[in-house]
Amino acid sequence: MKTKRGSGVSYAKYGYLFILPFFIVYTFFTLIPQLMTFYYSLFENYRDGLTQIGPNFVGLKNYVTLFSPDNTGSIGILKYFGNTLILWVMGAVPQVVIALLLAVFFTSYRMNLKGQQFFKTVIYMPNLIMAAAFAMLFSTLFSNVGPVKQVLLAHDLIDKSFDFLTMKVPVRVLIALMNFLMWFGNTTILLMAGIQGIDQNMFEAAEIDGANSLQVFFRVTLPLLAPILVYTVITAMIGGLQMFDVPQVLTNGKGTPNRASMTMVMYLNNFLTTSKNYGMAGAVSVVLFLVSTGLSLFVYNSLSSQYKDTAHKRDQI
Amino acid sequence: MKNKENNKGRIQLIIARTVAYIILIFLSFLCLFSFYMLIINSTRSNFQLQSGFTLLPKDHFFINLKNAWNDYSINIPRGMLNSFFIAACCSVLTTYFSALTAYGIHVYRFKLRRFAFYFIMAVMMIPPQVSAVGFIQLVYKLHLTNNYIPLIIPSIAAPVVFFYMKQYLESVLPMEMVEAARIDGSGEFYTFNHVVLPIMKPALAVQMIFSFVGSWNNYFIPALLLDKKELKTVPIMIAQLRSADYSKFDMGKVYMFILLAILPVMIVYIILSKAIIKGVTAGSVKG
Amino acid sequence: MKKLIALLLALVMVFALCACGAPKADSKTEGKVFNIYAWNEEFKGFFEKYYTVPEGVTVNWIITPSDNGAYQQKLDEALLNQASAAADDKVDLFLAEADYILKYVNSDATQDITKIGVTDFSNTYAYTVQAATDPNGVVKGVSFQCCPSALIYRRSIAQDVLGVSEPDEVQAKLDSWDKFNAVAADAKAKGYYMTASFAETYRPFSNNCTSAWVDADNKLQFDPQIEAWIAQTEDFIKNEYTLTAGIWDQEKNDQMFKDGKTMCFFGPAWYFNFCMGNAQDPEKGCSGDWAICEGPAAHFWGGTWLLAPAGTDNASMAADIMNTFINNEDVCSKLVSEENQFSNNQKVNAKFAEDPNYGNAFLGGQNDVALFSSMTSNIKWENHTIYDQLLNEGLQNNMQEFFKGQVDKETALKNFYNYVNETYPTIVTP
Repeated sequence: MKTKRGSGVSYAKYGYLFILPFFIVYTFFTLIPQLMTFYYSLFENYRDGLTQIGPNFVGLKNYVTLFSPDNTGSIGILKYFGNTLILWVMGAVPQVVIALLLAVFFTSYRMNLKGQQFFKTVIYMPNLIMAAAFAMLFSTLFSNVGPVKQVLLAHDLIDKSFDFLTMKVPVRVLIALMNFLMWFGNTTILLMAGIQGIDQNMFEAAEIDGANSLQVFFRVTLPLLAPILVYTVITAMIGGLQMFDVPQVLTNGKGTPNRASMTMVMYLNNFLTTSKNYGMAGAVSVVLFLVSTGLSLFVYNSLSSQYKDTAHKRDQI
Repeated sequence: MKNKENNKGRIQLIIARTVAYIILIFLSFLCLFSFYMLIINSTRSNFQLQSGFTLLPKDHFFINLKNAWNDYSINIPRGMLNSFFIAACCSVLTTYFSALTAYGIHVYRFKLRRFAFYFIMAVMMIPPQVSAVGFIQLVYKLHLTNNYIPLIIPSIAAPVVFFYMKQYLESVLPMEMVEAARIDGSGEFYTFNHVVLPIMKPALAVQMIFSFVGSWNNYFIPALLLDKKELKTVPIMIAQLRSADYSKFDMGKVYMFILLAILPVMIVYIILSKAIIKGVTAGSVKG
Repeated sequence: MKKLIALLLALVMVFALCACGAPKADSKTEGKVFNIYAWNEEFKGFFEKYYTVPEGVTVNWIITPSDNGAYQQKLDEALLNQASAAADDKVDLFLAEADYILKYVNSDATQDITKIGVTDFSNTYAYTVQAATDPNGVVKGVSFQCCPSALIYRRSIAQDVLGVSEPDEVQAKLDSWDKFNAVAADAKAKGYYMTASFAETYRPFSNNCTSAWVDADNKLQFDPQIEAWIAQTEDFIKNEYTLTAGIWDQEKNDQMFKDGKTMCFFGPAWYFNFCMGNAQDPEKGCSGDWAICEGPAAHFWGGTWLLAPAGTDNASMAADIMNTFINNEDVCSKLVSEENQFSNNQKVNAKFAEDPNYGNAFLGGQNDVALFSSMTSNIKWENHTIYDQLLNEGLQNNMQEFFKGQVDKETALKNFYNYVNETYPTIVTP
């Protein structure tokens, strides 16, 4: 890529031309509302019933409120950030690992699995069901009189007071499980498309050189898949930090119990629904934005430099 | 010697296959089970649904189908058509323009290139809830309610899809190919449309599926912007059934409609997932 | 180019003139488009059956499901833009529920209906008018239904626990909270639950509060009635007189089957006619084994009000609709006989109450209209605020965690305060 720098210069205007539509549309429909949100985080601006209060400039007051201890004595936003991270790790790590495994299964000529089209269709199906409907099904399955509890009770595996939908660990596990089920098929397809894009000659060459499947995976597939894998990890992270619909629907927006499954965006949503508190919501957004940008750029840079290194080494060999 | 190795390889392969099948069957079971419940629930009446869970279908399937189809407050075929139109437009626009933007940033060297890339990466982190409120107000000010424009046009700028395309290009597009096309006298847009896009087929298909599904299931923004009966989309109609008043409330209808709503997306998925596989042949050109 | 600009300017001016001229020219006749905002089709059904739309007027229903608060969000946006909206886009009538009606009644977005022609409230129930009256005594809307809520009990279980099953006799044994609590112990002794959800008794308490949720300084306060509910529930759960299920949970619904062990439920006509599916199940249900009485405290649940927005260009039609649904005896009778409603017209309801042939099969032939008619005068609409809906909901949600034993009472209350701070920034929490 480095060698091409010289020849690219005269085409620079095409660069601008190609990215123009994106930037025009983005600025108009998304950037302006977003900037307004950030701007309003410096204002007292909410509704009391139908009465609009503000906007009155209050400086950093919303941020101070956000980082002050709440009624329970803990700092809300830190707690919800912690919850979000826990829920994300519980769901996303298995999601990426399993998806990677399945993508390799599906694309491997040696494995040559039967019924691929069936499996590929089935694993993507949960993503087609709306989150709300999916949560509805889970609520029936795991309710206090639902079949799962009945079966476990019958085998004396749980106590009568055990309640999937209101106890801390079971609720978190259910949220993670639902997120996993809804998204692992999606990730598999992404990775599969990534592997399909890799030049088949590379695999053949590796096999001729006598590499076994593990070696092929670690030396050929993984490095060449790296850009897509970086994408997967980062979007899974962003998706995780923005986790909202599944815990919202499953816990009715309450984050049961004791707000232990309340995520950052659920917290943000609390300010938006009734009070239209753009001041506080804006402040939460800014914090969320800073955190996720920081994390993503860190992950992007560290992973990218890593795969660029390995790619470089491979070229040398 | 060679025979031995062959044997060892075969045993390994058998073990690997077995493990793969076990994992796949287990996961498929989990996925199918939720789907199965949806189907079972669509065969039960509202009162039967109130009594909780069952594994066996009841006899209400056609009654639910008839009730949902004839519900005068919703028009299922119309809703599906509306949703389909919006989702199809969104998925085409979002994949095409994201690929275009990604190509622009990947191939050309211009002053603002790094800025543009990091800008898009940064805005990707902003949760959609943040801009939703401002967006709604903007649409009201422009008097674009009851119009599909605010639901379709913004899909041109999708940072996440852009990022995918960019990463995909990075892993599959050799610059030599662009150079070769230029030497052949191909214009820049022609190169993009006729040389690069075919290579990106798997990526395009993947993102088309995702954005189609995303748009198909999108509820909140359309619910606030559309109120003409003939413009309503599937999720709005489902929500309408769910918030029906007590005398007309019928979960059987709701489950039936949810089931019906999944079918078109599944067809789109099956068609497009073929393109992912076909992409391999297109991709091999570059060798 | 200049010509083009001139042309544009001319066009703009013509438009501006039209826009200004329109209301003047039409000031005597009303708008041709009538916009009604609602969250479901209940009233639309009645409206289309029983109201004759004046010739030349198109009725436009803007129905937004209430999921995620979408209805109120949409309505608020429309009301706040009412002044600048084109005549045909203005809100001309909108619906609101008891839980949040004050948000609109106490604002300038609604107008005095006595000034547009709705003046006769002699037949409506007092609380339904109070609910639509602002602090200055101005009436802003009417309800087309009245929703007194009764104690719904299983006759067979009452017979077993109390030794009686007829409404009057049961009422005599359950007409105060002290009696109710004592009977709960008897029920438990016989292997029954008194109620199936901790939330069942919330409305009978909260409807009878002697103080509002917030005081004059907007400070959150707990009424003795709310405290009493918490104490009672704590006691009921400790002694297993009730279940920890929520009010719409399947666990509660299961108790409505024939083999259910729960004696009492609470709800208005719409609840037992339409929401007790398990009880009405032909195989596993127990239709006919039910009856209703007033219970320990008079209360109501639900109801839909029609409100007149300020700035409507169809004020007299809005008034006409309201009058039809509260004062047209023909229409009100049909609401009772055809639609299972308890109408908001005392005269009409009295007619059904006195009819010896009128009875509800689900309630073993009991005349529910008669009982509701006798109850309504005890229902109060006092000490409400614009915050009630979500404060009531939030309190129950957060206390449920305490009742289920996941957090202590202190933490549950503190979580409730957090919820209040996020939902209503103006309310001062302890």
